[in-house]
Amino acid sequence: MAVESKLGENILTTTIDKFVNWSRKNSLWPMPFGTACCAIELMATLGPKYDMARFGAEAIRFSPRQSDLMIVAGRVSIKMMPILQKIYRQMSEPKWVISMGACASSGGVFNTYSTIQGIDNFIPVDVYVPGCPPRPETLIDAVLKIQKKIEKERSLSQKRA
Amino acid sequence: MTEAKNVVVDRVKNAFPDQILDVSENLGETAISVKRDKIVDILRFLKEDNELKFDMFIDLCGVDYLEMGGFERFAVVYQLYSMEYNRRIRIKAFVPEGDEKIDSVVSLWAGANWAEREVFDMFGITFTNHPDLRRILCPDNFEGHPLKKDFPLEGIGYRENFLKVTRENAQ
Repeated sequence: MAVESKLGENILTTTIDKFVNWSRKNSLWPMPFGTACCAIELMATLGPKYDMARFGAEAIRFSPRQSDLMIVAGRVSIKMMPILQKIYRQMSEPKWVISMGACASSGGVFNTYSTIQGIDNFIPVDVYVPGCPPRPETLIDAVLKIQKKIEKERSLSQKRA
Repeated sequence: MTEAKNVVVDRVKNAFPDQILDVSENLGETAISVKRDKIVDILRFLKEDNELKFDMFIDLCGVDYLEMGGFERFAVVYQLYSMEYNRRIRIKAFVPEGDEKIDSVVSLWAGANWAEREVFDMFGITFTNHPDLRRILCPDNFEGHPLKKDFPLEGIGYRENFLKVTRENAQ
């Protein structure tokens, strides 16, 4: 660490990828796409008892332009799917998607003509959360998994896989 | 209760003797099955007759009697309430398969507007003289009427036919 010895103890050197990833993962701004009871658990996760702010993901934005983590909480109907896709496309890169609960991930018990059987058929999903609805701890675990995923990304040198 | 029921049934029977198919009572609730042809006249009579005054439209729904032994395949069921006499009545108007048409009652109760649109959406029953008969729940480009009993539960491709958004084409 020859550079640091010249710059003194107040300066740390790192790679730009690591620095960018560190700042991205600690200030995730979720976009809540809540359509059912999972959204209630999502609200509980944001509340004081579970407090998603501890992981830097408390700034819920209802505008897709301002958010980078979409949390799809609840069942998605065939009428809602085009809207979900539109919102996903409106979010600016980099962006991540959590599919929260059985309905968003697989259709859940709603094996009917009107319910999408898993949103991953039509938009990319990074982390699936099991449960009906999932406990707030499970959702927090999903956010931590997203953070781990962000850590490994090569933000500048390579497009996301 | 029984006396009041007789008043209602008798008056409707006297006014429309050839329109009544059946009168039944279940759990203290009276239901009159009628033909669909004069449904607006029957309901107007129930609403405006001085001894009936069923002035409050509670709800309207469709029924598919496929293999259940109705007078026809479909029925439109009207629930009415008389605030003056504290009475309720149920009117079932039967609609045959192949000619799913019945007159709209929006002219009597504006609140029937969206209820009739829902029955149109779910059962494909056309309400003539309805001011704005469009689908209300299903998407506009939806084909078929999902609450018909012979409609496949998992649909016919509605939930599969969407554009697939990937990371590459998302921008």
